[in-house]
Amino acid sequence: MQTDNQNKIAIELKQINKSYQKGSNNVVVHDNFNLSIAEGEFVALMGPSGLGKSTLLHLIGGLDLPTSGSVIIGAQRIDTLSEGKLSTWRAENIGFVFQSHHLLPVLTAQGNVELPLLLTPLDNKQRKQHASLALRLVGMEERAKHLPKELSGGQEQRVAIARAIVSDPKIILCDEPTGNLDRKTADEILSLLTTLNKDYGKTIVMVTHDLRASEYASRVINLEQYIDAGKQSQLSAVEG
Amino acid sequence: MVQLINNSRDKLKQAVALATINLKSFPHRAIASSVSILSIGCVAAVILSVLAMTQGMVKTLERTGLDDTLIVMRAGAVSELQSVMFPAEVNILANNAQVLKNSDNQALVSAEMFVNAEMLHIDKSGAKHIEKLALRGINKNTYNFRPNFNIIAGEKFKTGLRQVIIGQAIARKIPELTVGSTITLGGARWLISGIFTDNNSVFESELWADIGMVQSDYKRGNTLQSVRLALKANTDIAALNQAWQDDPRLNVRIMVEKQFFADQAENLTRLIRWIGFPVAFIMALGAMIAALNTMYATIASRSKEIATHKAIGFSAFAISFSILTEALLIAVLGALLGILPLYFIFDGWTASTQDANNLSQMMFNFELSMGLMTQTLLFSITIGLLGGILPAIKAMRLPVTVALRDN
Repeated sequence: MQTDNQNKIAIELKQINKSYQKGSNNVVVHDNFNLSIAEGEFVALMGPSGLGKSTLLHLIGGLDLPTSGSVIIGAQRIDTLSEGKLSTWRAENIGFVFQSHHLLPVLTAQGNVELPLLLTPLDNKQRKQHASLALRLVGMEERAKHLPKELSGGQEQRVAIARAIVSDPKIILCDEPTGNLDRKTADEILSLLTTLNKDYGKTIVMVTHDLRASEYASRVINLEQYIDAGKQSQLSAVEG
Repeated sequence: MVQLINNSRDKLKQAVALATINLKSFPHRAIASSVSILSIGCVAAVILSVLAMTQGMVKTLERTGLDDTLIVMRAGAVSELQSVMFPAEVNILANNAQVLKNSDNQALVSAEMFVNAEMLHIDKSGAKHIEKLALRGINKNTYNFRPNFNIIAGEKFKTGLRQVIIGQAIARKIPELTVGSTITLGGARWLISGIFTDNNSVFESELWADIGMVQSDYKRGNTLQSVRLALKANTDIAALNQAWQDDPRLNVRIMVEKQFFADQAENLTRLIRWIGFPVAFIMALGAMIAALNTMYATIASRSKEIATHKAIGFSAFAISFSILTEALLIAVLGALLGILPLYFIFDGWTASTQDANNLSQMMFNFELSMGLMTQTLLFSITIGLLGGILPAIKAMRLPVTVALRDN
């Protein structure tokens, strides 16, 4: 699979090998894996459990490092960065949305969304303004003062998305963002992600098991097909 | 350089912000942390008690004795109780040219008798109590050696009568002992004629009576136990000591009175420290382990939260700082739990201990000074931080990818 050459590459994984030690066994998750994602793409990573979808997401987000190979985001190779620099880079470039929203229960929706802004030079007033804007974008402005326990699952996920976009990162990484939601709410969340992709130009990589969810993506990468085919240089890709 | 300062400031700002958020959720973990808080509180209470007791005793003993007074006892005696002296020896000492004389040309000498007395008294309910107290037989010259002596109730005892004056510390501890009441000493009834103060010195833990009556009731003949001598200014004490050591009629030990009591203070506090501090150390170790355990449990319960912070971009420093801040909070709460009740209940409280040298009770005030409380607080904080370091490192190294898994 290759992205449109005319588009700028947002994410590039080159010859990625990823393995880990489990007891005395060396478990290979990815073997010479390559992937390119262009700026503004909405990519769904699919496939059964255990194929390393989340691992790919973590590699892209700098939460994990490859055993070998390189991870290039924009013009920056990130797998060689120190942990401190990686944290700073992550704060500036990546927004995460998890299956479980992982909102802090003691902070209001507004407080949770402001959290990433603590890593920026913005002052308190500016942080509040940015957080309000992000909450408005996800339709949660009126629930800004509510604690997570006072919100529904869908609302919590909207707040988590607001938290992911509040620093205006170029890339949003979503790990099963609709996994805990009913169909209707899941569709709302996916529509929201589509809006962020189409209207705000965010590059989105989403891990999902949900075929319906993958329909929102501009490209679907089926890891199972890729591995079954044993292809080393290209992915089985289905245009969404 | 400016960049480095700015980066450091930003990192600190992040760390403080994250620690503040972390502390907001602390009340949810307060019950789980209560064991650690309680453990540190117990250690703080023990440490502070030992320090306050030691300070109280030291101050009491330091307030006792004069720099220009010699105390003379039998050679080999480490306390007045162990000493025996005879009037002939007192005369030899008093006739030395270095001893000051009063306006009547009499040597300023105080020959004193010291008895570890069993005092029987009856409280308001009619119950009998026996206290071991220091009974000091003195004469009128003795008051010259107690410049801070002051009768605060009643009057001085009358020579030749079974009358006694009691130190304020005794009167405070045993309120039934009032002027006009009687006590039993050495099988005889004695009238309390007065209550005295002496700058909170160890003498306030004593009963004073006419030396002749004490010698008589306790069948000591004309022996006595210590002699105090006022010396002329600039007396060469070493030379004086050598002269008396060379005198075949004398077998004595001399010390400056102030130094004598300072040595007693040292001996007493050493004993307390030898017992108190090892106990406190073992408890501190236990409290540290409790804090360690609590912080590990906290990290386990907050692993997703910590991983989320990492994913958002908070630095490892900010995360470990927030963990250490919580450990610090636990330590401070524990310290306050130990310190404040002690302060409100026991500050200024009169305690007593058995003087190892004289086998009688020595009373002293529990002195919970700001300095001691600060020392205790700092010690508690050290325990908390030591207990927090390993968990903070663990939090710093927490594998985000594992922690963020939903199942």
